[in-house]
Amino acid sequence: MRKKISTLLTCSVLLALSACGLGSSGSDTDSDDTIKIGTLFSVSGAGANLGDKMRKGAELAVKQVNADGGIDGKKIDWVFYDPAGDTSTAVQQTNRMLDSDGVELVVGGGGSSGIALAMDPITSGRGVAFIATEGARQIVEPAAEAHPLTFKTTFNDTVMVERLIAFWKANGITRVAFMPDTSSFGQSAQEELERLAPEAGIKVFTAAFDPAANDLTPQVKRLAGNDPQAYLAWTITPAGVTFLKNIRSVIGERDVMVMHGFGFVDDRYMEQAGAASTGTILVSPKLPVWDQIDASDPQQPVMEDFATAYAEEYGGEQPNVYAGQAYDAMMVAVAALRATGGDTDGEKIADAIEGLGTHVGVTGAFKFTADDHSGLTVDDVAVIQWDGSRFLPVE
Amino acid sequence: MDTGLLIQVILSGLSVGAIYALVAVGFGVIFNATGAINFVQGEYVMVGGLSAAMLYEAWDVPVLVAIVAAVAVTVLLGVLTEFGLLGFGRLRTPASITIATIAIAVIVKGSAMLISDRDTYALPSVLGTDSLQVLGASTSRQTVLNLLLAVAAVAALTLFFQCTKLGTTLRAAAGDSETLQTFGVSYRTTARWAFVIAAALGALAGAGLAPLTVMSFDSGTLLGLKGFAAAMLGGLGNPRGALAGGLLLGIAEAVMSGYGAAAYADVVAFVVLLAILTLRPTGMFGTARAVRT
Repeated sequence: MRKKISTLLTCSVLLALSACGLGSSGSDTDSDDTIKIGTLFSVSGAGANLGDKMRKGAELAVKQVNADGGIDGKKIDWVFYDPAGDTSTAVQQTNRMLDSDGVELVVGGGGSSGIALAMDPITSGRGVAFIATEGARQIVEPAAEAHPLTFKTTFNDTVMVERLIAFWKANGITRVAFMPDTSSFGQSAQEELERLAPEAGIKVFTAAFDPAANDLTPQVKRLAGNDPQAYLAWTITPAGVTFLKNIRSVIGERDVMVMHGFGFVDDRYMEQAGAASTGTILVSPKLPVWDQIDASDPQQPVMEDFATAYAEEYGGEQPNVYAGQAYDAMMVAVAALRATGGDTDGEKIADAIEGLGTHVGVTGAFKFTADDHSGLTVDDVAVIQWDGSRFLPVE
Repeated sequence: MDTGLLIQVILSGLSVGAIYALVAVGFGVIFNATGAINFVQGEYVMVGGLSAAMLYEAWDVPVLVAIVAAVAVTVLLGVLTEFGLLGFGRLRTPASITIATIAIAVIVKGSAMLISDRDTYALPSVLGTDSLQVLGASTSRQTVLNLLLAVAAVAALTLFFQCTKLGTTLRAAAGDSETLQTFGVSYRTTARWAFVIAAALGALAGAGLAPLTVMSFDSGTLLGLKGFAAAMLGGLGNPRGALAGGLLLGIAEAVMSGYGAAAYADVVAFVVLLAILTLRPTGMFGTARAVRT
């Protein structure tokens, strides 16, 4: 708390000083010396925890870039709004950013796919580039036809599901119990899994659960009747902790693989499930195991720098994958702005992003093309396991 | 028919239903004393569970100590709620009090968000992590504890309302608070006691819920609405009705999760609420109050 206040004070003092020092440019921040980037994350409301991590990731990127002298001498002027998880608020805020605040580029889509999907027509309609940090593939697909100015720095669930299927095949698993939550995150994964698994010869039994549920034993018990070799949950909510506890309670010591999707990669959730989480296998970006992967991986130094800088900035706190996605989104925007020489025209930014080649980020090595505005592939996915105290890579 | 699944569904329903019942009883206590619906009730559950888990993590105290402290914190919040609602002398009608409780619920939730820094917190069960095997199904030991807690709370409240002076006063306040005031019994005093009891019930529900999941500032709102549905189902103000309503609602949800579409499990509570409000506003066990005009 004290740290926050002192940071705030420092910032405002610095702001005041810089305003005085510049003098000639006056107090008008919408000058040629800055580039206005607008961001929406829900740091209050139901998904506040994740929104807070995203905000920190993006904020870190802005601070680093500005400390390094900005983009061709122009500082980022960061405009931030909190829609509190509410889509209609987010729409108003997006309009305000673009109409009144003079925002030239939008990074971050409110921390929920529903919000990002609602923001896309607004930014696209004004010819502004938008780099989202939310999961749903519909935000950017189909890219060339419908979303030429919109990108995202998260995995499509298709990629995650492909990685899962490869992992199951390698481990001789042909019967899977799948428990997605009923949010769009869970339902979209269900669609992809039920589409792709049968082709690979894997039988999937599905029982969905409500994200606010406090007991999932009926679903686990029902699925147990099919004698699955693996149980996979797909959620970002605390119900995932209940899933882990309930699995252990219902199936006892029976030898099955217990798995979570990439929305649940969080040390704290794992610790809170206690003994029930030990051995849980997850598909994830590589970030949680950055210190344990091959040093020859070009992503390794990027993740190390990010994790170190993040911990330093936020009092020793470790970044999670959500912070990483937001950091990447801001850095992709910065890379594109450097390529255009600070020109914020939506089409030029989009061309620049598609022309970045390989952008090695925290979440993966992004290769954006005209048809792929998500840029990540199965090579960027790690399979990791919680050993009771930390995540380890699984071979 | 898979009996294992059936038993599992019932156990799951009882486990969640016991929590709904405790919330429903809290609604009834405030309704009896003030005639209002207290929408802070769900937040009491959140504050009880969250503060117990936060104290447990921060101070590394035994679980029971954390729970006792959390009940104290929540009771204090109950007293503050009463002061916020009635301390300024303007609110007297049940409708205005009800609306004001919504405002207080929002404030409590927002404060909890800032204090907990948006994190989730876990609380272990006082009975350990082992599960209990029952006829081919399993449940956590905490479930049994929660059921006992709900039954004990209802029994204690029933006795309290029937056999103690304060309980009788509270019942009388529900019947006719104006006449009661002519006998020199303060409306504020009875209301304050009702809020103390309701907050304590909420805190116990929270402490019972926390080991089944994890708590965050967002844990209370939906639970409050479901507890309200359970209270309406059983007849608002009737402790035994609240118990039956809570357990029935829990089982109905579990049946949806186990046999039907889990996507609609949450909807069950609100369909029940609508049906009861339309068809039998006094609830299954309630009787219409005679109103003399």
